[in-house]
Parts: sequence; C-alpha cells; structure tokens
Amino acid sequence: MKLAPVDYVILAMYFAFVLGIGWRLRKHISSSGDFLTSGRSVPVWITSLAFIAANLGAVEVIGMAASGAKYGIMTCQFYWLGAIPAMLFMGIFMMPFYYGSKARSVPEYLKMRFDEKTRAFNAFSFAVMTILASGISMYALGLLLKLVLGWSFTVSVLASAAIVLAYTFLGGLTSAIYNEVLQFFLIVVGFAPLSILAVVKAGGWQGIVARLPPNMTHAWRYMGSPTENPMGVEIFSMVAGLGFVLSFGYWCTNFLVVQRAMAADSMSAARRTPLIGTLPKMFLPFVVIMPGIAALVLSRMNLGYAIPLKPAGGPDYDQVLTTLMAQFYPAGMLGVGLTGLMASFMSGMAGNVTAFNTVFTYDIYQSYIRPGAPDRHYLTVGRVTTVAGVLLSVGAAYIATRYNNLMDLLQLVFGVVNAPLFATFLLGMFWKRATAHGAFAGLSIGTAAAILTLSTTVAEGKGGWIANLHTFPSQMAQNFWIAIIAFTTCLVISIVVSVFTPPRTDKDMEGLVYGLTKVPHDATAKWYQRPAPLTVIVVIVLLILNIWFR
Amino acid sequence: MDLRVPSGWFFTVLGLILMGMGLFAPETRAALTTANVNLFCGIGMLVFGLFLLLMAWRAIRLEKGSNP
Repeated sequence: MKLAPVDYVILAMYFAFVLGIGWRLRKHISSSGDFLTSGRSVPVWITSLAFIAANLGAVEVIGMAASGAKYGIMTCQFYWLGAIPAMLFMGIFMMPFYYGSKARSVPEYLKMRFDEKTRAFNAFSFAVMTILASGISMYALGLLLKLVLGWSFTVSVLASAAIVLAYTFLGGLTSAIYNEVLQFFLIVVGFAPLSILAVVKAGGWQGIVARLPPNMTHAWRYMGSPTENPMGVEIFSMVAGLGFVLSFGYWCTNFLVVQRAMAADSMSAARRTPLIGTLPKMFLPFVVIMPGIAALVLSRMNLGYAIPLKPAGGPDYDQVLTTLMAQFYPAGMLGVGLTGLMASFMSGMAGNVTAFNTVFTYDIYQSYIRPGAPDRHYLTVGRVTTVAGVLLSVGAAYIATRYNNLMDLLQLVFGVVNAPLFATFLLGMFWKRATAHGAFAGLSIGTAAAILTLSTTVAEGKGGWIANLHTFPSQMAQNFWIAIIAFTTCLVISIVVSVFTPPRTDKDMEGLVYGLTKVPHDATAKWYQRPAPLTVIVVIVLLILNIWFR
Repeated sequence: MDLRVPSGWFFTVLGLILMGMGLFAPETRAALTTANVNLFCGIGMLVFGLFLLLMAWRAIRLEKGSNP
C-alpha cells in the first residue's frame, strides 16, 4: 500500500485538530480534579460517545475485523450478548453508587465501601494492566504500519505516543474525552464506507450467506455444541462466561470506561452515559466486524483478493482491515481510513493513560506515598504521571517486540484479574452485609482459583503448567470457564467470610450500597431522558438484531 | 468549548478535500470498485460537518434568546 500526498495532508490535519483541542482546553485546568476527573462537567452526548470510544482501541478495531473473518457473525456476541446488557446494568443499577459516593475512581469506591486492602489490590493490578494494554496497542499499531506502509516501527510508536501525551498533558481527562468523540466519528467515517463497499462487492448480505458455510452467518443457531460453531464454545459458557462474568466485569468495574461516565455533569447524565452509548455500540459490528466477514467472501470469489499469509504459514487475519482498504479506497479516502485507524489507536491509548494517571495519583500516591499535600502538588503529580504512563507504555511496546507472546499473556492476566472482580462489586453494591474481610478474601481466593484453573486445563496447547485435568475445545471456551469459576469462587468465599465477620453500621455505608442510597428522581427529565424508557428502546432494537442474525 | 464547532470544521474541510479529489481527479480509483469513492464519501462528510456546525450555531442562538 502506498500513500499519496493528499493522504498525508489528511493525516496531518487530524493531528493538528487533536492538538488544537488539547491546546484550547489547557486553560480549564486549575486543580487536580479538573485534570484527572474533568471536574464532573462534561455534557452527556460527549461522555456517551467517549464511553464507547475509549474501549475502541487499535487492538479492538483490528481484532474485530480479524475475528469477523475467523468466526463470522458470531463475533457480534461480544457486542450484543456481551457489552450491551452490561452497559445497561451499569447505567441503571451501578452508576448511582459510583456517582453518588463521590469517589474519584473505582478503587476509591472499593476503599469507601470496604477497606484499604481491597483498594490496594485493585489499584495496583489495574495500574499494571493499563500500562500493558496501552503498550500492546502501541505495538500492534507500530507493527501494522510497518507491515503495510513500511513506516519505521520506532517513528510511528514514538510519534503517536508523543501526540497522545501532548493533548492529555495539556487538557487532562477533558481533552482525552473530547478527542475521543472526534476519534469516534473518524473511526465510523473511516470504516463504514469500507464495510458498505466490501459487502456490496460480496453480493450483499444474501451473497455472503450464499457463499459461506451457515455457521459463519448465524449468531445463535450453532451454539448448541462446540464442534458445530467456529468459536468452539457451547451456549452455557457463552452466556454465563462472556455474557455475564466477563462483560459485566469489564463494563461495570473497569475504571477506563467507568471514568467517562463519572465525568458527566449530573447523576442523571452519568446514568444515561452508558445507556445512550449502547445505541451506537450495537451497530458498531456493522462497521468493524462486517468488513472481516466480507473479506472472507471476497477471498473466495477469484477477484484477485486474498487474505494475507503469515510468514510461518496460515492466514494473518490481523491484516484483513488494511488490505481491504487498499482494495477499495483510492488516494484520499485511503488517508481517511488510515486516519481512522490512527484515531482508534489514540482513543484507546489516551483512555488507558488518563485512567492510569488518576488511579496512580489518587489511589497509590495520595494514599500510600504522600497523603495530605496541597492540591497543587497532586496536579503536578498527575501531570508527571501522565508523562511516566506514556513512557512506560512505550517501554511495554518494546518489550512486546522481543516477546511476541506478551499479547497472550495480557489476555490471560486480564481474565485472571477481571473475572472475580464483578462478584466483589455485586456484593458490595447490593448486599449491605458484605464485609471488608469477606471482599478481600473472595477477591484473592477468586484470583487464585482463576490461576489454578488456567494451570490445570489446556486449550489449543496453552495453559496446563501443573497438570492437565481437562482439555477445552478452544481458548475462548477456556477463558469463559476460567471466568465462571473465578466469579463463583469469589462470590461464595465473600459471602461465607462476610457472615462470620462483623458488619459495618448502616450509617457508614450511606450512598454506597443498595437500600441505603437515595437515587434522586430527576423530575425535570423528559421521558426519553429517563433510564427506564431508554432501556426499553435499547432492548427492543437489540432483540430485533439478534432475531435477524439468529 | 463547544465540541461541535471543531469537529464540524474538521469534517467540512475533510469533505471538501475529498470532493475536490473526486471532481478533479476522478480517475483515482481503487482496484475492486468502480464507484467514485472520494466524491460520495466527500459529500457525506461535508453534510455531516455542516450539520454539526448548524447544531452549534443553533445552540448559540437559543442561548442568546434566553438571556437577552
């Protein structure tokens, strides 16, 4: 793929705009709160789009097209079964406690509800994970740009990191969020035409259905047995593992996304943030997954298009998106598509960096290193942490170039750390009898259970370091089952230990737990601004989509 | 800052660039399609950019109307 001057002009214009937005917002920063939590002042349509854009990093965009080519329409389950129900739950049931508690971060909520040790556990594991995630994402982008455009890995990694650093350093979380919205528009504008062109070329949806085996074009029908569907999972682990534990764990407790909703200007807006976000979110598969499915069809139509191969053999699905662009976009639009890819990378990385600096400044530095300093000091720390976070991510990206299974490792770490967490929050928010010792015991034993499951089972030749008690049909199935086991362990241990340890008084938990929190009824809200009608609309549209692609 | 203003300008300019490409260099085509992709995408982006600017302009007018 070769770029024309006009493509570079478009890319440069995008860089100028993101930096310009950061520059304009720099004057709004006068306290650590302005820098790290946006001073809770961002309009709801912006937080909603930022909420989904922060999750839409380069790894996700490239990976979703790749999974589309590999697993077909079943990939949509990550959105329809996974993300959407979790986002609805978060907006309706969990946001009142996050926003109402006045916590500045997810670990801080854990400290208010339970105690210091649970917060520390969550803050440290989250900090490490965000750095790894942003490093991996940088690595994936650098690798792709090198492969497709022949750009130097070092130059693309350092240049894109420098731009993200510049605008988050200048305008803090507000700048990250505002840019995420621009980036979200660009992702859609850059990839939607590709999806349309590729699907039309493949003969429309009818043409795709006619040319692919039926288990690639049905999201539900072949879920009964793991041998029939391309993902190798059965319906129970899909619904319980992905649909419940993993998705709720991610969308409801991961500070990266929760932070966007917390930046909203009112409780009502904070609750609506994930709810409104579901509307664009459920149509994103048509933009990011559909090109992958169409690519698979096109590669079987003798058009001269083939899915690229890895040097070691076997299809390299990660290149589907970029090779497809080269086939359908002329100079000009190609620049927009590439800018969209860049935008997705930046929104994901800025999301990680802004979540990292907040957790580090408030939950690690202010709590354990230097409490009680004037706010100016924490603003400086926040800024320094932003720089440090970017540098550490660059470091992680370089480590990834030397150990190419770091990506697998990250997924395993994610699974192990995230899986039990949702049980802790569920009990913390909805059962006032849950105690601090219960939560900590559940979380640590739940995490241990996840590690134990991973080291005693094997899938696709991975895991099973201690013993091989069970072999899963696919890594996906293994991930889902680890999540189910970790969640259940955490839930049971937390309940048992809580019952045998002294409870806190109700007065201490006002605003933190269900039954002791008044959710303010917003009388001025119009019907479509209330959570319940909004949810009903989302559920109806979601059902239609699932029935259509069953 | 109203985010609709910078995003509106961004997509308006982007739309104009692509439309320019589509009109004055219509022979720039990609391998697998015969459509003038730049022209149609440019029109779409221009409309989107102008829509954002219109919304921002309307918000300013409404604000002026309520606090004379």
